[in-house]
Amino acid sequence: MRILRSVRHKVCADGSFMKEFLLDAPVTKEFFTYLGNFGEVEALPNVGEGFYKFEKPDWFSIKGFAGDTTIEVRFKKEVMALTSDFLYFLFSSYPGRTDDLSLLKQRELAVGARVRKHLYGQ
Amino acid sequence: MAIDQKPIIYLNNAATSWPKPPGVLAAIARSLSLPVFGSGRTTGTQGEDYITQAREGLSTFLGAEPPENLVFTHNATDSLNILISGYLAGIQEKCHVLTTALDHNSVLRPLHEYEQQGCIQLDIIPFEECQVEPESVEAAIRPDTRLMVMTHGCNVLGSVQDIKAIGDTLHDHGIYFIVDGAQTAGHIPVDLRDLPADAFVFTGHKGLLGVPGTGGLYIRDPDTIAPVRFGGTGTDSFSLLHPRGMPERFEIGTHNYPGLAGLAAGVDYIQSIGVATIASKAERQTASLIRELKQEPNITIYNEHPGLPIVAFNIRGMEDDDVGFILARAYGITARTGLHCAPLVHREIDGGSGCVRLSLSWFTTDEEVRTAADAVREIARNADSTVGQA
Repeated sequence: MRILRSVRHKVCADGSFMKEFLLDAPVTKEFFTYLGNFGEVEALPNVGEGFYKFEKPDWFSIKGFAGDTTIEVRFKKEVMALTSDFLYFLFSSYPGRTDDLSLLKQRELAVGARVRKHLYGQ
Repeated sequence: MAIDQKPIIYLNNAATSWPKPPGVLAAIARSLSLPVFGSGRTTGTQGEDYITQAREGLSTFLGAEPPENLVFTHNATDSLNILISGYLAGIQEKCHVLTTALDHNSVLRPLHEYEQQGCIQLDIIPFEECQVEPESVEAAIRPDTRLMVMTHGCNVLGSVQDIKAIGDTLHDHGIYFIVDGAQTAGHIPVDLRDLPADAFVFTGHKGLLGVPGTGGLYIRDPDTIAPVRFGGTGTDSFSLLHPRGMPERFEIGTHNYPGLAGLAAGVDYIQSIGVATIASKAERQTASLIRELKQEPNITIYNEHPGLPIVAFNIRGMEDDDVGFILARAYGITARTGLHCAPLVHREIDGGSGCVRLSLSWFTTDEEVRTAADAVREIARNADSTVGQA
């Protein structure tokens, strides 16, 4: 799955930076299940085609509806420069690399260390 | 994209009203079809004098006399900045200022900036059950209190404040009173001949059904506010000092001709219906919406008896932003979520986390109200059982 372009953006009330991305394919329940390997997923499967929300604290959150080609991402602004590449990598790795998440996990660890250092100095 | 496939149910009118009356769109198009007529700025005679038309129309509509004391600005925030800055520039001494926890950042931020600069001491009067009580205002007054700035109608809770009683109290103490009517003008009857406001602020793009970039203020005694912006007025051009006559004292640069043509048409439209009729319909629809939402035990409504067509709520167990996202994407309903630029209201009602706001206009249909109520109730019912389960 590829992010084609950012179609809207705004600074949210909580200080996070929201980008709405247009994708080359609709998101699915399975996609959010895959994201669940890297954070927490909440779902309201009976609302519309199914509402899903992925949360990776201190990094970003992703929300969208199954069957929709746009998703909303909220970046923690202070570390957006560190985490946005990983977001693209998460999308581009689906569905091709979902059998073996080791590369993604390695990147997650590396970025996580930089995020923690930036936010908390550790 | 789901949202593009659904008709828009627009319930964000407290931010900016939509749709606009056809006459507003036509007036804007017509104003741009000929060279503009601006007094002192052209020898042309083709265009209409939209500025005077809008001024006289608004003056009659709001009971703002004389018409030249009604000044056009970019929006309500612009008006409040002009008034607050101009009042403080005029008195040139540190003083005590009052505002309320119901107010918008368009009031809170200028006042906090002046407080930080050491120009004023600021006290914020709390509210109870969506209202600021005149007795609370009276209790907050000090010998050095010179100014109070407050909202006429809260943009989160839709509560209309008792400006008459508060204004009378303030005037008993010689305190200048600026009223922010951004949410009330066009929604409820406003007659400035009866309201004890020294200055009243309005915006064009909400209840008055005009377009963004228009707004204004009314000053009962222009000498009470020092001009804080200077420049071309098209009048008295040989003078290198800014004219002090009205409305040039506060109107600088080229006017927003298309916007003001649209604003005049918006006011004409409202007057053709009658603001009392508009208020009555809004009251009925808002009550209906609240009645429906109250059926769901996990919906918290923060304003059960608003005087304006605004409903503020949260669904327990869900973030307000998620509810807004679902309303937009799954149901085509445009709402607003978050803090609505009124952080102190939210500190009181929801701990500062924000809420969902649905706000209606004259163009909102009963069917749209029913659809919105059904949508929110459906989300609430699903939220109860499924949140957190992937």
